[in-house]
Amino acid sequence: MQAEAVGDLINAVTPLQARAAFDQLEGTVSTAIKEIDDAIFELVAQLEASLDFPDEGYHFLEAESVTEQIGQIVDRVKKVMGEARRGRLIREGIQIAILGKPNVGKSTIFNHLVGSDRAIVTPTAGTTRDLLTELTDIEGIPVTLVDTAGIQDTTDVVEAEGVIRARGAANIADLVLLVLDCSKPLDSEDRLLITETETSQRLLVVNKIDLPVRWTLGALGSSSEQTLIQVSMKTFEGLDRLTQGLKGILGAGEQLRDPAAVTNIRHIELLQRVLAALVRATRASAKSVPEEFVLADLQLARVALGEITGQRTSEDLLHHIFQQFCIGK
Amino acid sequence: MKYFDVIVIGAGHAGCEAAFAASRMGCQVGLCTLSEGTVAHMPCNPAVGGTAKGHLVREIDALGGLMGQAIDETGIQFKLLNRSRGPAVWSPRAQADKNRYGTWVKAVLDREPGITWIFGKAGCVVVEGGVVTGLAMEDGDRISCSALVVTTGTFLNGLIHIGPEQQSAGRVGEPASHDLAKSLKELGFEQGRLKTGTPPRLDRRTIDFSRLSAQLGDEAPVPFSFLTDRIDREQIICHLVYTNSRVRELVVRNIKKSPLFNGQIKGIGPRYCPSLEDKIVRFPNREKHQIFLEPEGRDVDEIYMNGYSMSLPREVQRTLVRVLPGLEDAEMIRPGYAVEYDFIQPVELSRTLETKRVERLFFGGQINGTSGYEEAAAQGLIAGINAALKVKKCEGLILGREEAYIGILVDDLITKGCLEPYRMFTSRAEHRLLLRIDNADLRLTPKGRTIGLVTDARWERFEARQTRFGKNLQTLSRTMVRLSSGEHVSACQALRRPEIRLEELVLKGDTNLEISQESRELDLISLETEVKYEGYLRRQRKEVERARREERRLIPKRFRFDVIPGLSREVVERLSHIRPATLGQALRVPGVTPAAIAVISAYLDRPVGEEHLGRGQTWSKDHNLQI
Repeated sequence: MQAEAVGDLINAVTPLQARAAFDQLEGTVSTAIKEIDDAIFELVAQLEASLDFPDEGYHFLEAESVTEQIGQIVDRVKKVMGEARRGRLIREGIQIAILGKPNVGKSTIFNHLVGSDRAIVTPTAGTTRDLLTELTDIEGIPVTLVDTAGIQDTTDVVEAEGVIRARGAANIADLVLLVLDCSKPLDSEDRLLITETETSQRLLVVNKIDLPVRWTLGALGSSSEQTLIQVSMKTFEGLDRLTQGLKGILGAGEQLRDPAAVTNIRHIELLQRVLAALVRATRASAKSVPEEFVLADLQLARVALGEITGQRTSEDLLHHIFQQFCIGK
Repeated sequence: MKYFDVIVIGAGHAGCEAAFAASRMGCQVGLCTLSEGTVAHMPCNPAVGGTAKGHLVREIDALGGLMGQAIDETGIQFKLLNRSRGPAVWSPRAQADKNRYGTWVKAVLDREPGITWIFGKAGCVVVEGGVVTGLAMEDGDRISCSALVVTTGTFLNGLIHIGPEQQSAGRVGEPASHDLAKSLKELGFEQGRLKTGTPPRLDRRTIDFSRLSAQLGDEAPVPFSFLTDRIDREQIICHLVYTNSRVRELVVRNIKKSPLFNGQIKGIGPRYCPSLEDKIVRFPNREKHQIFLEPEGRDVDEIYMNGYSMSLPREVQRTLVRVLPGLEDAEMIRPGYAVEYDFIQPVELSRTLETKRVERLFFGGQINGTSGYEEAAAQGLIAGINAALKVKKCEGLILGREEAYIGILVDDLITKGCLEPYRMFTSRAEHRLLLRIDNADLRLTPKGRTIGLVTDARWERFEARQTRFGKNLQTLSRTMVRLSSGEHVSACQALRRPEIRLEELVLKGDTNLEISQESRELDLISLETEVKYEGYLRRQRKEVERARREERRLIPKRFRFDVIPGLSREVVERLSHIRPATLGQALRVPGVTPAAIAVISAYLDRPVGEEHLGRGQTWSKDHNLQI
C-alpha cells in the first residue's frame, strides 16, 4: 500500500494531486481501511470462535448483533468509497466541455480558462470546427477543457461533423458549460441544447451581459433554478463568479482540506468487492442463514481487504481467539 | 533376517491406521509396540471427535480407515456438536469406552492376515545410501523392510512432570524411547520439544453426582462411520462442575510448584488446551472454568476431569479436586501430569508424509507435532497408505486442501511446521462449506477405492448412495411444490428459502425421493445442503478452481530459489528450507509474499527455446531452471 502511494506521488501532476498522494502516504486512507479490516477481523474471530468452540461456556455473539455489526461496517466502507469519487477526480482529472450555438463566446471562455489564446476567436460564427482540448488546472484539480464547434443546423459537411463531435464531447464530459448569448433572442436551438444537457452535470453561462439584454432568466423556465452564471467576456464582468462556480462544482473550496481520499483505482475496485461481500453477508445474517455461510462472505471481504493491508492467516485468527478467550480443556 | 514390506513403529491411533491400511493394500506389515495392553490407547481424553476432529474421523472412514467404526462400536455417549448451526460445521463427538476401544482395534488388527505383531522396543532406524532398509530393535534383533512408518507419539525422550517429580516415560508407566530418538537425531532430522498435559482421574464411587449438572448424549446418536446404520447402545451420563475462587487461590498460592511456571518445563504447550495453571494465570478475571467429568468406560471406575489438566504436586492436586462441589470426598486414582517430548519438525516431510531426508521413511501422528487422536489417525492413515504405495511402486496419495481436512492437516504441517502442538479447527479450512461431514464419502471414498483400501461392501453402499444423490437432485429440480402462499415453485426454489426444510417436503409427500432407510438423515442433509446453499457452494467451487491453478504449478525438486533475482534473502531461505512442491504451497509458506510468488511464477513459466541451450545439450527441466 505504501509503495502504491509512493507511485501516485511520483505520477502526480498538479499540486493537489501531490497532496492527495501525500495524504495517502501519510496513511489517512490506510487508517480508514485498516480500521475496517480490523473490525471485520474482530467480528470474524468471534464468529469463528463460536463455531470451533461451541462447548466452552462462552456466548460469543448474538445473531442480531452480527447483522448490526456487519451493517455498521458496510456504512464505513461506503463512507470511504464516497470519498473515492473525489479522490479519483484529483488523480485522473475531469473533462469539461464548452457547448453552445455558434458565436456565443465559447472559445473566449476556453481561452480565458486555459490562460492563453489557444483558440482562434473571430466574430465569424463557426470559426471552431473541431474539438480543441487543453489541459489546465482549476484550483488544483487537473481539468481537460474541450472547446467545441457551435451547434447549428448546417449543410456544410465539415461543420456538421464538428457538431456531431461537439455533442459527443458533451456526452462524455464530467461537466458541461452551456454558453448562451443574452444579446440575441433565445431560440429553439438554445432550448434544444438546454434540454439535451439537462441530465448532465452542467453550468449555464449567460454571456454578453454588457450588451442590451434580449431575454430574462425567467425565459429559461424551470432550468433557471440550476447553477447559472452571468458574465461578459468583453468587460470581464462576472469572471470571478465563473471561477467560483467551477470550484463549487469540482468540490473544491472547503473540501480541499478533506484529506481521506481513495485515489487508487485498484483500491476502489477492492473496496467494491468488499462492499458486495459484506452486503451479501448482512442479508444472509438478517435471514438467519447459518454462521459458516455468513462467514464465507466475510472471509471474502477479508481477503479483498488483505490485498490492501496485507493478508492475515487463519493462524493469526486463532492466535487472536486464544488471546481473548480462555478456550480448551 | 525377518522381512516385512512395511514396518510400523508404535500402535497408537496413527500406527494402527498405518498398519491396517498397508495390510489391506496387500503389504506384509510388522507392527512394533511395547505391549499388547496399550494398542489404540487413549492416555488423555476418553473421547473421539469434536469440531473439525469429527470431520477428520469421517474422512478416515470414507477412505477405509478404522477410527470411525472403532468409536461407533465402543462409544458410550454420542453428541453432534454445532447442531444449531449450519451443516458445514456439524461435528460428531463421542465418549469412548477406553478399554473396549483399544480391545476392538486390537482384535481387528489381529484378524488382519497381513499384520504381524512385534512386541519390543524399537532402537535404531537402519539407512543405507539414503534409503531405509530396516529396523534394529533395542535387544539387538534386526528386521529388514521396504518402508518404515514411525508413529511413536510422545515417546521420543518423553519426560513426565508431576510437581517436582520427573520420570522418563512416553506415557505413565511406559518407558520413553531414547535410542530411537538418538537414531533419528543422527539422521539429521530437525527436532523440537513440545509439552502436553492430562488431568487427574477420580474414583467414580467417591463422587456425589447429585450435586452436579448432568450432561446427556443425543437421543438419536449420529454415527461416525458411513457403514454404521444406527447406534442403539444405552448411553452414559457425563457431569459438569465449575471451578471456584478456592481453586484460584490454591493455584496462585502454589504456582511456583508448577513445573510449567518454575522453569522446569521447556517444551511449548497447546494454547487451545491450557493447563489449569495457564487458565488461572492468563485469565485472572474469568470467574469460573468448566470441568466435565467423563467416565472412561461403562464398567470402570475412572472418571476423567476434562478441563482440569495440571502438573502441580500430587497433594496440591488432591486439594484442588476436593475444593470442588460434589468432590469433597473424591479419591484421586491418578494425578494429572505434564509430558515433554521431542517431535520432528514436519517441514522435514513431503506431501505423502515420507521424509525428504531419507527415502521410504514415513512419520505420522504426534511425532509430527500434532495433538489429538484424530489428527494422529489421519496422518497414520496417509503415511501407511503411502508406504504401501511406495512398496508397490505406485504414485503417492496426496489430498488437496480443497478435498479434505486431512489435506489441510498435512499441508499445514509440512508448509508451516509446528511452533505448538497442532490441532485441527474448521477455521483452518478456506473452503469449509465444501468439506462437510455429510459428503466426506462423496469426496473421498472413490480415492480409497482406487488405492485398494475400500472393501466391496463399502463400495457397493457408496455407489448406491451416490446414484441416489444424483437422481434425487434431478427429481428435486423437476418437482413442483405449492408454498403456503399459494405459489407454485420448483422444489429447489422452495428449498432456497431459509425456513423450508427438505424433511418437511418429504413428510408432506411433496417430493418423491429415493431414500435409503439406513442413511436417511445423511441422504437428506447432503441433498438439502447442495440445493439450499447452491450459490455459496458454487462460489467456493470457483475459488477452488482458481486455487487449483496454483496447485498444479509444480516446482521441481531441485529448483534453486537463490538464483532468482529480486527475492529477499529471507524468502529464499524459507523457500529453500521448506522446498514447496507447488506454487500454491509456496504462497502458504509463512513470510512469502504474493510479489515473490509472481517472480517465481515468471521463472517457472520461462519458455524453453533451443536458443537458450548449447548445441547437443539435452534440456532437463531442472537444469533450465537453474538460471
